[in-house]
Amino acid sequence: MTAAAGILAHNTVVVALGVAAVGFAAGVVGSLCVLRKRALAGDAAAHATLVGVAGAFLATGRRDLATLLAGALVAACAGLGMLVLVRRFTRTRDDAATALVIGVSFGLGITLVSGLPAWGYANSAGLEQFLLGHTAALTARDAWLLAAVAAVAVAAVAAILKEATLVAFDAAFAAATGWPVSGIDYAIVGLVALMVVAGLPAVGAVLVTALVVIPPVAARFWTDRVGTMVVLSGLIGLAAAAVGVAASAARPGLATGPLVVIAAAGAFAVSFLCAPHRGWIARRAEAARGLTVRRGDDEGEAGR
Amino acid sequence: MTPPTRPLVEFHDVTVAYGRRPVVWNVDLVIDSPCLFGIIGPNGAGKSTLLKAALGLVPLVGGEVRFFGEPLGRVRSRVGYVPQRETVDWDFPVNVMDVVLMGTYGRLGWFRRPGDRERRLARECLDRVGLADVASRQIGRLSGGQQQRVFLARALAQQADVYFLDEPMAGVDVRSQERIFHVLDDLKAAGRLVVVVHHDLRTAAEWFDRVALVDRRVVAAGRTIDTLTPENLQRTYAGHVDVLDDLAQAIAARGRTP
Repeated sequence: MTAAAGILAHNTVVVALGVAAVGFAAGVVGSLCVLRKRALAGDAAAHATLVGVAGAFLATGRRDLATLLAGALVAACAGLGMLVLVRRFTRTRDDAATALVIGVSFGLGITLVSGLPAWGYANSAGLEQFLLGHTAALTARDAWLLAAVAAVAVAAVAAILKEATLVAFDAAFAAATGWPVSGIDYAIVGLVALMVVAGLPAVGAVLVTALVVIPPVAARFWTDRVGTMVVLSGLIGLAAAAVGVAASAARPGLATGPLVVIAAAGAFAVSFLCAPHRGWIARRAEAARGLTVRRGDDEGEAGR
Repeated sequence: MTPPTRPLVEFHDVTVAYGRRPVVWNVDLVIDSPCLFGIIGPNGAGKSTLLKAALGLVPLVGGEVRFFGEPLGRVRSRVGYVPQRETVDWDFPVNVMDVVLMGTYGRLGWFRRPGDRERRLARECLDRVGLADVASRQIGRLSGGQQQRVFLARALAQQADVYFLDEPMAGVDVRSQERIFHVLDDLKAAGRLVVVVHHDLRTAAEWFDRVALVDRRVVAAGRTIDTLTPENLQRTYAGHVDVLDDLAQAIAARGRTP
């Protein structure tokens, strides 16, 4: 019995570490996504994943994590492709096009996942856990897969951070100096799709964008440098994921996803309130002292 | 076969459209020697569009633009660019130094990070625009004039031979304007061509060696003194009654010969 408990605990720890790695990578990738103002694209990718999960199961009859996530990744990219096509050929505006893709793909995904048992796919049970995330069902093997994906994503961001920052800050200058702006954009959004898929088992399709968006937004309060923001965002994502997994392990009835997002939201609230300079309290205090951050004014700068 | 000196920039029958709506058309313009060159015209005349088309940022419907006799793709590192200040988010988490270093990325290429050499160069460029002491400041905490000078410093860090500036004086205090023109003058003295999209007639006459008057096509181009004539200005600004006052002053001010 103690041996069984030990194995169980070991499994829980490995899963927690794997999901924490995903949280870190999601925060890192999310920084580029938020700086490039592509958060909505991440949401479209996330909501499209369910179709891929169901599709992969229907096509292969298998329900191991690698198969299902491969399907989810294909669907996420298809969702993003649909977004591009809707924008280009129907001249629908960005926000409306995103809402359209989210609605259509999510509706289709829910229909498939919830309809499978009724259509005689008795062994499809468990797919609906990709809706809100559920780490209890993950194995150590799954966790290693997730950690590997996370490592690839972090390495990719480290490689293209200079180029992605340039494009996010000033795409026109980047293009004028010869950088392939849309290629770099595809890389950023592709990495977002990858992390949305990796976050799926733990956080679920509905909320996984939050794991990509909230940590960088929280991190932004603490720093004025991209590099620091990326690392800090990763750490916030890591902490949120770890807290969420631990909390859902302690209360097995609770889905993991909402807990992860609540933890991330907590980090955001603390950042928004307490961060020096950009935080609400600091800004109020400065205003009270009559030292509102003034835009430096040329005439005011003595000595030159 | 190649003539000894190719024009620095040549526009041949350039036409640009947004969708099906033509913005500028049949532009022919040859700039063959280093100078301060103003592209002047009323709002909505297509000046910025022309500049963006030259840089490949908006597609040409017809015609071609050549630099040093070559298509842009082969000489990009020799062409510097200062976009309009409002086109970026100044709350972006970078400091002044970070932005100036972006001017070195084109030469660095993929994956290589700026090192000591690039930092030295960036610091030098910041010095030239008078911003060395705010190198580590977040870019949102600068005045409009300082922000514009950061963009100019970034272009200097490109170490180009031809510079394009899009409305560098818009929303810029007088001191920054003078500083910017001083730097541009130095570039000219160092043998560089500086092309500036500009809409203020009053300063145009005083600052530019050569100008092109643009109102959806080139109305007139050449030496400032020969080009900013009452007739040409009337033709360019026909229908823009609001600038008549500026017009009168510009005509009065035209006198500086390079």
